[in-house]
Amino acid sequence: MIDRRNFLTLAGVAAGSTLILPTASLAQADISPEAVFHDPKAPALGNPDGDITLVEYFDYQCPYCKSNHPVVEKVTKEDGNLRVVMKDWPIFGAPSVYASQLVLGAQSMGKYEAGLEALMATQGKLSNDLIEKTLSEAGVDPDKAMAGYKANRKEIDALLSRNDAQAVAIGLRGTPAYIVGRDVYPGAVDADTLRKAISDARQA
Amino acid sequence: MNAKALSRLSLRALWGVFLVSLLLPGLAAAQSFDLLKPKGGSGPLSPEEAFQVETAWQDDGTLAVSFDIAPGYYLYREHLTVSAEGGDAPVIETQPGEMKDDPNFGTVEVWHDHTEAVVSDITGPFTLHWQGCEEKGLCYPPQSREIVPPGGAATAEAASAAQSNQAAGVPDYAQSAASSAPAGSSEAETPTPPVAASKGDGNSLSLSSDDGLVAGIAAKGGWALVVASFFGFGLLLAFTPCVLPMVPIVAGMLGAQGKDLTPARGLALTGTYVLAMAVAFGLLGIVAAWSGQNLQFLMQAPATVIALALLFAVLALSSFGLFELRLPQALTNKVSSVQGPRGTLAGAAILGFTSTLIVGPCVTAPLAGAFLYIAQTGDAGLGASALFALGLGQGVLLMAVGLFGSAILPRMGEWMVGVNRAFGYVFLGVAIWLLSRVVAGPAILALWALLLIGAGVALGGRDRFGPESSGLGRVGGALGVAALLAGALEGIGAASGAADPLRPLAPFTAGQTVMAAAPDILTEDDFTHVETPEALDAALAAAKGAPVMLITTAEWCTECATIAREVIPDPQVQAALRHVTPIAVDVTKTGAPQQALLKQLGVIGPPTLIFLSPDHSEAQGTRLIGDVTAPKLTTSLSEIAQ
Repeated sequence: MIDRRNFLTLAGVAAGSTLILPTASLAQADISPEAVFHDPKAPALGNPDGDITLVEYFDYQCPYCKSNHPVVEKVTKEDGNLRVVMKDWPIFGAPSVYASQLVLGAQSMGKYEAGLEALMATQGKLSNDLIEKTLSEAGVDPDKAMAGYKANRKEIDALLSRNDAQAVAIGLRGTPAYIVGRDVYPGAVDADTLRKAISDARQA
Repeated sequence: MNAKALSRLSLRALWGVFLVSLLLPGLAAAQSFDLLKPKGGSGPLSPEEAFQVETAWQDDGTLAVSFDIAPGYYLYREHLTVSAEGGDAPVIETQPGEMKDDPNFGTVEVWHDHTEAVVSDITGPFTLHWQGCEEKGLCYPPQSREIVPPGGAATAEAASAAQSNQAAGVPDYAQSAASSAPAGSSEAETPTPPVAASKGDGNSLSLSSDDGLVAGIAAKGGWALVVASFFGFGLLLAFTPCVLPMVPIVAGMLGAQGKDLTPARGLALTGTYVLAMAVAFGLLGIVAAWSGQNLQFLMQAPATVIALALLFAVLALSSFGLFELRLPQALTNKVSSVQGPRGTLAGAAILGFTSTLIVGPCVTAPLAGAFLYIAQTGDAGLGASALFALGLGQGVLLMAVGLFGSAILPRMGEWMVGVNRAFGYVFLGVAIWLLSRVVAGPAILALWALLLIGAGVALGGRDRFGPESSGLGRVGGALGVAALLAGALEGIGAASGAADPLRPLAPFTAGQTVMAAAPDILTEDDFTHVETPEALDAALAAAKGAPVMLITTAEWCTECATIAREVIPDPQVQAALRHVTPIAVDVTKTGAPQQALLKQLGVIGPPTLIFLSPDHSEAQGTRLIGDVTAPKLTTSLSEIAQ
């Protein structure tokens, strides 16, 4: 039965949607699961066909991103069915941006993971020189990586911009931040928490 | 008219509005389901809580900056910097920090607890930047604050209100050696809103943030769109019973005009009324921008409520003909000379202004969204414009009443006095309803008793009717007797300690209900009551490993009383509660701890029910706001009870 209140609710919903939906479609930061978990330009590690996706927002100079990276790697390897999407969110200034540009640029020569692992294994603060030296030692030629970045600059810049807008829209407090299923984990997490998050997402 | 019933009606409508808002991407995202993550703790502090910055101008033109850093957090010395657009950046002198030198960090210099700095050589506006981390493992994006020297374009206070506390986005890409054409959103100083790509299928992530709809609209279409949206919201609200309590006020105001009333006059009066109402909303917008406070709290502060109840009582006395409301003669003359023979436009303005309180609860949802945004940006102009538009939108319907109602109202003097008196009773009823938020139940019942008995006598409940009595008089007499009886019942209720005017005999019937129900029924009195964040933490710690239901409640919250009385005792709810630890978060008091609680929980106001899984993370999609029914509550409880 449609009583007065239901009617008002319906009317309100109808009027409200008319008012709002057109503006919603103008959204700048898309934080739908598709955009967060399946951004085609964001590099995916782990099992590319995994049934569950873990998204990490990180910065190459953020100490906890680096100290926690082995934990993520370990859990990923153990699990075997986890897809890991790495989203660069450079918040520590120019060297962080430079590092992201080079490593994403190295994608075109198939050296993304090598670059990522090398820089994640560094300690704390980075400089441009240190970034180039670290990458060279890991077999990633910084000049070629830069050429790769420049060739795909539009896409990579758009990706960085998208990551940033997403992180802010989701309300992430900083780096690292992990998203599994529908849950957001701010800051470093231990292996047990991560395992449980993954199994929760798997059950949902 | 029963103002209590009226208030309940408008509260119902409020939840209708809330349902609408749930469809809206921004406000939906304002329900932060991950607030209590991770690991049952309360998650990292917001950057402004972690790093509290204060600035003070010195006599020599330098700026003293001090940071209070929360325990477990630190600031980087190298990231405390200043910059100026175009001009020369000032110089910042900082104090030596502690050297952090461990495998995770390399060597960096950081401050814990507290640090100070001095900015000198200030030639114009500049930006202060800082950045830090939480020890447990989270680094914040750079934070910044615009500083304008005294005598500059704006005052220092205004500048600090414009602080951009939220994530400032990707830092300056242009600094990068490689890229001269940054792609980032480094200009996004104001917090970018959460914009869920809501397809209406509930499939999108609903995520935590306190920015809302307004920020979303503002980011996309600027001022005009925000203002237009709020006008639309107002229009929407006007078609709910939110505005219903205002119709009698408007009608009473028109009635007082008697035979002078023309459509033009009616329109002028309602126009003034609506304009004043819109101005009141606009002022709220400015206050919100400046104070950063939750204004709903201010509206519910006992002092405010009592003052407004008094105001309505005075209005009632005026309706009874004790005196005429008017401004000082000089002012009245001025107004009259411009706008007509009588100075009641001013009266209309005052009424309109105060009516804002009546619709206050109704517009909680859009208002809360607006306040959050405005308080964050400190943009008083936008806040005022948006809420002004909201008030105007709400008034459109009233204007129509003013225009057409005046043509419908019969033009005669005698019974208008009666109508005026009737509105006197309505105003008194509103005053009592307002007081019921801050005064104990039995006293409220006593006031209702007095009001009903007074109204009963006035209606002729004690009159004798002879053969010559008119039919109408007899109807009035019958209504009067009914009012007298109702008043007597309220009086009995007051004397026996009843708290709900709609159930004055509850103390007598309650015993039977309890006898009839299961003896071990769980009531809200059995819940753990907390009033401070510390007490909540303690209660949550005590409930470690168990699912928890948090129910925000307050004595002045009528919907909460309904939930406690009608929903909690439901057998299914009782069964579902068996495995859940219920905690009542009491925000009856309106102090800082209660505000902190609401903020921590991401709650706009009671009643809001939050459901925590055994790991004390909020179960997604379970939060209940306002209109809580037994089936909904059972569903939410079963989500966390597995």
